Amino acid sequence: MRCVVLAAACALAPASVYAVEYMTAEQAAKMIFPGADTFEPGNVKLDSASMQQLNTAGIQARSVNWPLRIAKRGSTTLGYVVVDEVIGKFELITYAVGVGADGAITQMEVLSYRESHGSEIRIAGWRKQFVGKTSAEPIRVGEDIANISGATLSCKHITDGIRRVVSVIDLALKNGSLQ
Amino acid sequence: MKINRLVASPFKLLVASSLALMVTNAYSQTPSQEELARKLDQLSDELAKVKAQLKQMQDQQAATPVAPPAASPPAAAAQPAGATASAVTAESGPSRPEEPATVLFSYGELNYNRPTNSTKDTQFDMRRFVLGFQHRFDDKTKVVTELEVEHGVSSADDPGEVEVEQAYVERMFTPTWSAQGGLFLIPAGLLNEKHEPTHYYGVERNFVETAIIPTTWREGGLQIVGNFDNGLKLQAGVSTGFDLNKWDATSTEGASSPLGSVHQELALAKSHDLSYFAALNWRGVPGLQLGGSYFAGDATQAQAVTTARVTLWDLHARWTPGRWDLSALYARGTISSTAELNLAFVGQPTLIPKTFDGWYAQAAYQLWTHNDYVLTPFVRYEEFNTGRKYADLGVGLTPDPLKTEKVVTVGANFQVSPGVVLKADYQRFRPKDDSSQPDLSNRVDLGLGWSF
Repeated sequence: MRCVVLAAACALAPASVYAVEYMTAEQAAKMIFPGADTFEPGNVKLDSASMQQLNTAGIQARSVNWPLRIAKRGSTTLGYVVVDEVIGKFELITYAVGVGADGAITQMEVLSYRESHGSEIRIAGWRKQFVGKTSAEPIRVGEDIANISGATLSCKHITDGIRRVVSVIDLALKNGSLQ
Repeated sequence: MKINRLVASPFKLLVASSLALMVTNAYSQTPSQEELARKLDQLSDELAKVKAQLKQMQDQQAATPVAPPAASPPAAAAQPAGATASAVTAESGPSRPEEPATVLFSYGELNYNRPTNSTKDTQFDMRRFVLGFQHRFDDKTKVVTELEVEHGVSSADDPGEVEVEQAYVERMFTPTWSAQGGLFLIPAGLLNEKHEPTHYYGVERNFVETAIIPTTWREGGLQIVGNFDNGLKLQAGVSTGFDLNKWDATSTEGASSPLGSVHQELALAKSHDLSYFAALNWRGVPGLQLGGSYFAGDATQAQAVTTARVTLWDLHARWTPGRWDLSALYARGTISSTAELNLAFVGQPTLIPKTFDGWYAQAAYQLWTHNDYVLTPFVRYEEFNTGRKYADLGVGLTPDPLKTEKVVTVGANFQVSPGVVLKADYQRFRPKDDSSQPDLSNRVDLGLGWSF
């Protein structure tokens, strides 16, 4: 039934986007890599083998194309910024993840959040838990990421999203499609 | 559907063209066995790739309707097959997925209670069935409603109730500040605002947050909500309150839940006296929540011989390190001027208490997980007293304080899917056969709940 409503709402709703932004993607990229002097547009294109590899690891890649910003200082690549969206309970959360050239998360920023409960995912202390994590780590709520009571779904979904981003970038770094 | 067609077409094209190619080749020349084998290999490679892509698309499509667990944008299914998904759309405004303006949600629970010493009183109950919707008028304004049916059937001859549990409009002013107006849940304790069955352990809600804090407790009014970057959440407002004129001294309802028996639920609520409330919660350290709430207001609504004030406050903590989920709460309520009010009730079984309070401590541990299955055993200890103290009415007239109820609950929640939970527990009550709490005897509980 919900899916009918969603479909109906999608069909009827104007193309407006409901978003209260704490910051733009550009601002987030600069916060995540303050040392960068340029952000070049980049893209990870996953082939079917990569998709399957991610699937095997329990990651739904969700897209074959992963556009990102490549943070550079001169000719040195500092890392990558991916802007992604997940659903909290009902509504979209937009967030940006910074991943260093070594595949470890440098920072996570919440760009927009509009649920009535659970905006605590914006708190620096909670976001810090992701710093330094690589795809080799679980990145799961209840394991290495603490839950926020009252915001369980938002925590879980954004954590799953971050795990997906890190895994995609890690795979791209390893197979040479991202340099 | 659209995706299937779009995916199916290139797939069919590929197969058809491959067959055509093979047939043409067969007539035009006679390829060697090796060449044929090589071409077959190529074809099977291509086929495997197309299959993998098709599966990916189908997974993506299948994941979309159950949006929360799959955590994918609702409009993702409307994207054409070749289009890029959220990572792209989040970046580029025009192709960003549209959010639905209206979302339906629901929760419900079916509870089975079997008193071990009185199995004839075993009951199975459609405890709650709730339908709600959220509709967003614009990027900062939305309405949230919940309509609940309790005990399955509501009619003059049935025990059920139909009630509007929430109906409020929320307006966001800044990323930090928002306001709610209408019928909303009072921020008190850990359970009241998050009372869906998937959010708490045990078939039945804990006693402290039903007998002392009258969950699900809602009032009509206005509240402001501040979410600060340092992890503080402040809620404060003005609302309707309780009506002590409803106190029924002949029933035991007031002993089961003093405030639950005099709440108004915004049903022609007497509003001469408004109440004030505030709640502060801090979540600055991951996994830790520390908070408290305060609610106070006159509750005689200018219709009694005196003015009596109801005050309820609580302190609570929840800590979720790793697989553990630990929580504790203390709540205390007081009612002033009960001596004057109780004079009219002398000789009847249930007088208005001056103070009532309770606390609990609970520990849960995620013992086993497999895909979506999560088994979480828990134990909870509660002590509560709905008549801790009575105002002095003179010798022989002042009621004795009630006995403090001590409840141990041991059981487990089993998550079948992120929105579905099966529950089982055993509850042991002390003292046994307490006449002030006749409904409480040791029991086995089983439950099924959902929330989406």
